[in-house]
Amino acid sequence: MSEKKSSLPVAIIGVVLLAAVGGGAWLYSQGGKPPVKPAGTNANKTQNIDYNTASPGAEPAWSKGSNNASVVIEEFADLACPQCAKVTPILHEVRSSYGDKVKFIFRQFPLEIPAHKNAYDAARAAEAAGMQGKFWEMENILFKNQTLWQPVADPRPLFEDYAKQIGLNVEQMKTDMIGMPATLRVDADKKRGKALDVNSTPSVYLSGKLLELKDTASENLKKLIDAELAKNSSAPAVPATNASSSASQ
Amino acid sequence: MNELTKTTSFVKFAVIAVILSLGGIADAVYLTVHHYTGEQVPCGATGGCEMVLSSAYATVYGIPLAFFGAVAYFTAFSLAVLTSFGNVKLWNLFGLQVTLMACFSAWLVYLQAYQIQEFCQYCLVSAGICFSLFITFAASKILK
Repeated sequence: MSEKKSSLPVAIIGVVLLAAVGGGAWLYSQGGKPPVKPAGTNANKTQNIDYNTASPGAEPAWSKGSNNASVVIEEFADLACPQCAKVTPILHEVRSSYGDKVKFIFRQFPLEIPAHKNAYDAARAAEAAGMQGKFWEMENILFKNQTLWQPVADPRPLFEDYAKQIGLNVEQMKTDMIGMPATLRVDADKKRGKALDVNSTPSVYLSGKLLELKDTASENLKKLIDAELAKNSSAPAVPATNASSSASQ
Repeated sequence: MNELTKTTSFVKFAVIAVILSLGGIADAVYLTVHHYTGEQVPCGATGGCEMVLSSAYATVYGIPLAFFGAVAYFTAFSLAVLTSFGNVKLWNLFGLQVTLMACFSAWLVYLQAYQIQEFCQYCLVSAGICFSLFITFAASKILK
């Protein structure tokens, strides 16, 4: 009897552990189904915002792929955002797998929150690197090291170190980073994001339609791109409107 | 106070802790799954869930804080279950753990209020459960 009693708590703990793991697995499996869009998220708000006539953002935009691509992926990202660091490489990889059929545009959207206090400077550092033709290299190294530069009081020495690593003229980069052109480019991207009611990062648009975060997973994104390409296959190639110019291929 | 009375006194608090911990496990597992599926969570009440859950504070080396929360709640649950079945010595260990959890939750609430300046309702529920667990433990000591 006492043996039975002593095994009961262990059994209860075991059952709850199984329920937690099983419930988690079930929830995870439900993740592939279309989610219920919560009222008030930007997924809903953007339905009424005209993607093509919104403020154009920095021109030329940082982009990869052909200007004649019929499908355009546009990402609003914060270089201090962990989810952006995960999603952006996927977007690059998927884009490159489609060659010239798909164009990828990167938009700066540093969040204005104290937790991301260095995000704006990081965006300007990336723009400054872009002026020396190394935007994507800087974007990559900033995403990879975001846990190092984000919490520090002054991230500039780290940015300079990254600039050195990717072969930039560091002094030039330091000057460009605080210069008006870099600042204006970041602000222009932010203005476009705000016009589209972007309120979280990453916000990814596929041919003007805001994606749910789960749709930025490689397989889901490829399905959506395939559907877009199929839809556009009989129509002439439609260049991206106000984001069609390209700063970098 | 004899051993039997002491045990009975702690058991009712331990049962309350068991129920609260179950709520914490559910909340933390939900957020952990959300992190890995990448879906937006419904966020009607506070509106800042995505901002909080995608902030630099939401993960540690790529692992969501919610996962650590789920482990912590499960440990608290296990200790409370064992206490409610008469293993009173574990109640102090439970107390130590929920005190740490409450302190950490207070820091997370501070981050939401002053650093991120947005609130996530699931994080607030979790903080509420941590504080309730701590209060349950404190009450068991004061009212014994």
